[in-house]
Amino acid sequence: MLTSGIQIYNANPVFGGRAGLHIPPIFALGGWLAGGRHWHFAAMWVFSLNLLWYGIFVLVTRRWRHRYVGLLDIKALQKSQNPKRLTFAWHRIAYTSIIPILLFAIFTGIGMYKPAQFPWIVDFFGSWQALRIVHFATVPLVLIFALVHSYLARKVGGTEFTESMFW
Amino acid sequence: MGLIHTPSLKLTRRQFLTISGISGASLLLSGCGSPLFEDVAGAISEPLNQKVESFIFGLKPQKLVPEFSVSEIDNKALIVNTFRNTPIIDIENYRLVVDGDVNNPLSLSMAEIQKLPLTSMIIRHVCVEGWAAIVQWAGVRLRDIIALAQPKETVKYAYFISADKYYSSWDIASSVHPQTLLAYQKNGEPLPIDNGAPLRLASPVKLGYKQSKWVTQISLVSNLSRYKGYWEDQGYEWFAGL
Repeated sequence: MLTSGIQIYNANPVFGGRAGLHIPPIFALGGWLAGGRHWHFAAMWVFSLNLLWYGIFVLVTRRWRHRYVGLLDIKALQKSQNPKRLTFAWHRIAYTSIIPILLFAIFTGIGMYKPAQFPWIVDFFGSWQALRIVHFATVPLVLIFALVHSYLARKVGGTEFTESMFW
Repeated sequence: MGLIHTPSLKLTRRQFLTISGISGASLLLSGCGSPLFEDVAGAISEPLNQKVESFIFGLKPQKLVPEFSVSEIDNKALIVNTFRNTPIIDIENYRLVVDGDVNNPLSLSMAEIQKLPLTSMIIRHVCVEGWAAIVQWAGVRLRDIIALAQPKETVKYAYFISADKYYSSWDIASSVHPQTLLAYQKNGEPLPIDNGAPLRLASPVKLGYKQSKWVTQISLVSNLSRYKGYWEDQGYEWFAGL
């Protein structure tokens, strides 16, 4: 989704239009605009159905009650001296915040894909440009999430933890 | 006993995951900066996407898309994208031909077209490139022209041929949407030649590349040929609804 999105972005950069800020094509998937769109609109099904499945899983197994950030985590961040408790709290913040980020990506994406069918989505963000910016914000936010997630995981288990995923 | 040991070829779960991970990563990385089977991705997903798109549109095919106020018109935002050259059209000899599976083929002059009821709308024009512009278009409803031509029951598509040899095709439901116009005015003034004068398609329900400029012929047909449109034949989506 990210790389094909960058392909689409480069057709008319969100920041500055045609003469604006292009992203190096090495990060772009699809080869040209139509190819980027094909990948984007093929991957959107995998992405959104995967997220839907996760949502159902979290609801059915009742994981939503104790998997996400809560008041106790905020208190722990303020008071706890226990480094493990602190990392755990940060981890829960990271995993909780990625969910609205991904949901917003779908929401803004539908607004741009079908503005005539769902004009209220564009109105919700005020303007077309604002909608494009919020949709594009998914790229840095997901990258930041990936970095924070990998940093926290390494802090907990070091390289052994990472390697245990593979061998 | 057992001087010769044959190493087990069985993959453990972890080895399998490792190999899948590495091959998956190489697949993803090799895609960077490349098309990576974009045609396959399109061929697999586009039929489904098109079904979903026409289904959503078909729920309320006559639903009006909300319009904007005059103060929201952004005159500079509309970029002119032309695939070849701007054609030279003699307005006196210009005719809009409507043919195909119709009972009453038409050949209309601009004077005759301008006698038909005028519709004005302020809509968002959305380009496949990602930009959008709020524009006021005014002209005759395409559905009025189609009705004059008396299409046969079997008609499902409309082809639009332009003076610059550009061509595109639409589903009939989008063509008879009340906000699909053959426009000859833009932002309160006669349509500039760069924007498609004397007559162009304008609609809030399709992407910009479906909104042909310098339209000279409309063919109402029952089947699509293998040529669906200039950009569509190169790989862009055919339905391209908004």
